[in-house]
Amino acid sequence: MKESIRRFISDQLLSGTAIADDDDLLLSGLLDSMSVMRLVAHLEKAFGVKIPPQDVVIENFTSVDTITAYLEGKEAA
Amino acid sequence: MTTLIDRAMEDSVARDPQAPVLTFAGTTLCYQDLAQQSDKLASSLMEHGVRRGDRVGLYFNKSIESVVALYGVIKAGAAYVPLDPDAPTARTRLVMDQCGIDVLISHPPMRTKLRQVLACRDGGDVVRCVIGVDDPETGAAIGLSWEDVSQAGPFLRPDVKEDDMAYILFTSGSTGVPKGIMHTHRSGLAYANVAADTYDVRPGDRLSNHPPLHFDMSLFDYISGPIRGACTVIIPEPYTKLPASLSKLIEDERLTHWYSVPFALIQLLEHGALDQRDLSSLRWVVFAGEPFVAKHLKNLMARLPAARFSNSYGPTETNQCTYHHIEVGDLTDDRPPPIGRIWDGAEALVVDGDDRNVGPGEQGELLVSSPTMMSGYWRRPDLNDKAFQSRRGAAGNTALFYRTGDMVVDDGSGVLRFLGRKDRQVKLRGFRIELDEVEAAMTCYPAVDEAAAILVKGEDGHDAIIAALTLKSGFDADVTDEIRAEAAKRLPAYALPERIDVVERLPRTATDKIDRQALARDVQPSRLAESSPL
Repeated sequence: MKESIRRFISDQLLSGTAIADDDDLLLSGLLDSMSVMRLVAHLEKAFGVKIPPQDVVIENFTSVDTITAYLEGKEAA
Repeated sequence: MTTLIDRAMEDSVARDPQAPVLTFAGTTLCYQDLAQQSDKLASSLMEHGVRRGDRVGLYFNKSIESVVALYGVIKAGAAYVPLDPDAPTARTRLVMDQCGIDVLISHPPMRTKLRQVLACRDGGDVVRCVIGVDDPETGAAIGLSWEDVSQAGPFLRPDVKEDDMAYILFTSGSTGVPKGIMHTHRSGLAYANVAADTYDVRPGDRLSNHPPLHFDMSLFDYISGPIRGACTVIIPEPYTKLPASLSKLIEDERLTHWYSVPFALIQLLEHGALDQRDLSSLRWVVFAGEPFVAKHLKNLMARLPAARFSNSYGPTETNQCTYHHIEVGDLTDDRPPPIGRIWDGAEALVVDGDDRNVGPGEQGELLVSSPTMMSGYWRRPDLNDKAFQSRRGAAGNTALFYRTGDMVVDDGSGVLRFLGRKDRQVKLRGFRIELDEVEAAMTCYPAVDEAAAILVKGEDGHDAIIAALTLKSGFDADVTDEIRAEAAKRLPAYALPERIDVVERLPRTATDKIDRQALARDVQPSRLAESSPL
């Protein structure tokens, strides 16, 4: 899961820029608000989950690590 | 009467020195600290050769230090020049060289970019002093940390006049060379005061700071708030990208005033989980920068019934110059709300293509004479000649007017409606078409989220209007025929787009406005041949 999330962000949202799993994606120069929306749409489709707006928050979307932890938490629930 | 921006802020220090003035990511600065820290910075700048009339660059991400720097620079009698932290290195350098910046103030998070900017020197001046990032690799002769600044000697206030420059804001010029818009203490403070009066800013109020320092809207947050004893909540970058976190911040910080471009508010409406937030602390929601699509605004107003909504308008050259407090009745048709009335103390004229005044109901270019107006473009007399016109106002007096380049119509009671940019009026096969009107017709269709229309110069003189639009979730691209049919009810046939492209997103400028120039570059003229005939 982590690998595929990292690849989507790097290839589709950052035009190939390599990122580490703990990089802060929300600092300037990386993801903008529209990219975040694309990412959410992708995650919903790729992993068959529904991500409600109230879950699209900094705690869950800071890095590839936090996104993965959030999705795993949803699966476990 | 207080005539200097920094003096006006210090009136608030006298009123309540311990009151909070700025808060950012868990750190709060009180008025007394802002006054003392900006004194220290001003002394340090003067000790290192900064004199009245100099320009000092501010190179910051969102931070408390950036506002301390703003006040420190103007206290030293210099003008602050905010540099876009996300701009390409070469453009930043171009701005610095244009206004001869040899002193830069920054902070550690900008270290890498700062090195790049200082290394990128193409015959420009050497930056001799860097404050806030103590880094020998910058190559500056003088490097001072914020800690060093706090050790500066006592501040001896220089003799600053109200017509001295306080800040220069750079915007992109049509030829690609950025142009510097010069504002004085007089024009900056006139704006800060009239905005604070219009939006009833009081001690204890809590203002949002959404726009970055290099964007003129930040003056409301950084000056109108502090001169009235309010506290400005600087919104950290990550919050501007996640609407559900942003709405939580508005709730937690109990903001009373919100001011941003419509885009940020639309994001809040659509993705901000507003049904789970208590935003009843908001008294004023003010927006500016581009027209607010009426249906989105209506929905947002329904979500925040306790707040008053206001559309503020004005090119950076005027700071702002008109306002309109929205009533539900303003949104009964699908047009964006009016830009409203000219501020108190300013005057608006609407003129035709021959510069003759036109009456209510007639379209024309808006000319503005206002104490909030710039003193001119930095070292561009050619642009000043085009931008200003000395002419007779309504009361028979002669005054200097600024040409906004915006087309408006007066509804007969002094309320102005924005029609579009003068240069957004295009001619296609002899017909005059307002591209903004084409966009407005597209967004009337419920599935359409946002729309942008451009004129594309095709091969063999085959010009065409192309519309690019984003759809709300749940709709797919096959609705374009319906959108075209709907638009045909509102637009003359010659103004209908030849092609309607559904795109995932529209390109945006650094200030989140739709970037139509980038869109025009993206559109392939050769693809015109593929479009179906009307």
